[in-house]
Amino acid sequence: MIQTKNRQKKAITLTVNGNLHKLNIGDQPHEISPSYTLAQTLRETLGLTGTKVGCDQGACGSCTVIMDGKPVLSCMTLAIECHGSKITTIEGLADSITGKLHPVQDSFVKHSAFQCGFCTPGIIMASKSLLDRDPSPDPHHVKEALSGHYCRCISHYQVVEAVMDAADKGGQADE
Amino acid sequence: MKTFKHFDAESVDHVLAILARYHGKTALMAGGTDLIGVLKSEILPEYPKIIINLKTIAGMNTIKMVDKECRIGATARLADIAASGLIQKIFPALAAAAESVGSPELRNMGTLGGNLCQDTRCWYYRYPDKMGGRIPCYRKGKGPCHAVKGENRYHAIIGGKKCYAVCPSDMAIALAALDARVKIIGPGGSRLVPILDFYNVLCTILNPDEMVTEVRIPEPGKNTVQAFYKNRPREAVDFAVVSVAVRLERTGDVCKDACIILGAVAPVPYRAVAAEEAVRGRRLHEIHAADAAKAAVKDARPLSQNAYKIEIAKTLVKRALLSF
Repeated sequence: MIQTKNRQKKAITLTVNGNLHKLNIGDQPHEISPSYTLAQTLRETLGLTGTKVGCDQGACGSCTVIMDGKPVLSCMTLAIECHGSKITTIEGLADSITGKLHPVQDSFVKHSAFQCGFCTPGIIMASKSLLDRDPSPDPHHVKEALSGHYCRCISHYQVVEAVMDAADKGGQADE
Repeated sequence: MKTFKHFDAESVDHVLAILARYHGKTALMAGGTDLIGVLKSEILPEYPKIIINLKTIAGMNTIKMVDKECRIGATARLADIAASGLIQKIFPALAAAAESVGSPELRNMGTLGGNLCQDTRCWYYRYPDKMGGRIPCYRKGKGPCHAVKGENRYHAIIGGKKCYAVCPSDMAIALAALDARVKIIGPGGSRLVPILDFYNVLCTILNPDEMVTEVRIPEPGKNTVQAFYKNRPREAVDFAVVSVAVRLERTGDVCKDACIILGAVAPVPYRAVAAEEAVRGRRLHEIHAADAAKAAVKDARPLSQNAYKIEIAKTLVKRALLSF
């Protein structure tokens, strides 16, 4: 039998919205447990409560963040498995110096593409990721890309309008 | 979530060594979209002590052709399979099945191996422990199947006996129609198991000390056509109410051979042999498709709330056969 190290990682590093975080694995204060989800780590350890947890079972899409360029569900991802990843959350979209909103955020405000807003961070992250990949999607692509997101206030129609509007204005531009 | 130890697997041998050392106290994790739900809800009485991350095994996520056989690694993401030019060209039914799973986010995370080995979605089986206690049932080794007298609209119409939960995998349905085999590696070496033999009524034949590493699909013949159809309440996220995968070999418009697999109607992927016979040697015509549809559900014994699945299954079989 081969000799292997049966040890878990002692620490992980995450780049969240451009800031590098080193997190120790353990059960002490300020450490994260191996069972922590990415959503839990972002919200409770790093204080980035913009990412919302809805169903906590991977079915509603509100916890969506962009990890290494792809939208993923942070409630179904273990933080310990994100070592070395680049993560963008809703807090990372607006310009950190001027506070100017991202074009997709602006468009959501303009179209009132939400009511209570709980699902909005997830939808905006998935929309941004779509526009990064496909700057001029048709409404069908937008619906497909956002098919894993639920809005109990039924703002879906305005969401599609907002994303299409952002796309027309070059929403992918991360100026 | 209750805590556990977390190991990054370095190789298949490493996984086997951990599995052997911590026998039965481990869980394999690929995409995590099924396992993390199982762990959060604590549906099973035994909680794993160790989670083994398979995503760190180098090269186990590749899609390639080797000797007229397509080999897809167990940790290949569903999104990558759906977007693969190779899969779209040679196995359109598999690409369609991958595209139909969950939501775009779930497909960015979920893997082929995980999709094949996921646990059933039966709502009695999945009932979370923290809401008044988990529900013991036949599948968990204690008690009856609650679906028989309870809410059973998504349960099996064919082949249910002690447990009426259905196999939730869409990939298994398409792969079964494509005559794929699963590569399983364990302490005794590796074996290749046809997809239909991979499942049994209470899940898969996988032993606790084994793992799935690859799926192999033979290149279909020149005159082969294939299709995958899935019915579900909503167009996204939902698991199949009924799914159908069909592979036909034809000469002209006469069907020479057929393989018709139904999903979500039975505890395992269901091969509709009678339906295959109904179209073999026949022209692909509305009447023969209707015959095949009827034959596909001839063994159906629905429960109190799921007879509607029969009509959906018939429609999907017909639609698939007439799509060529």
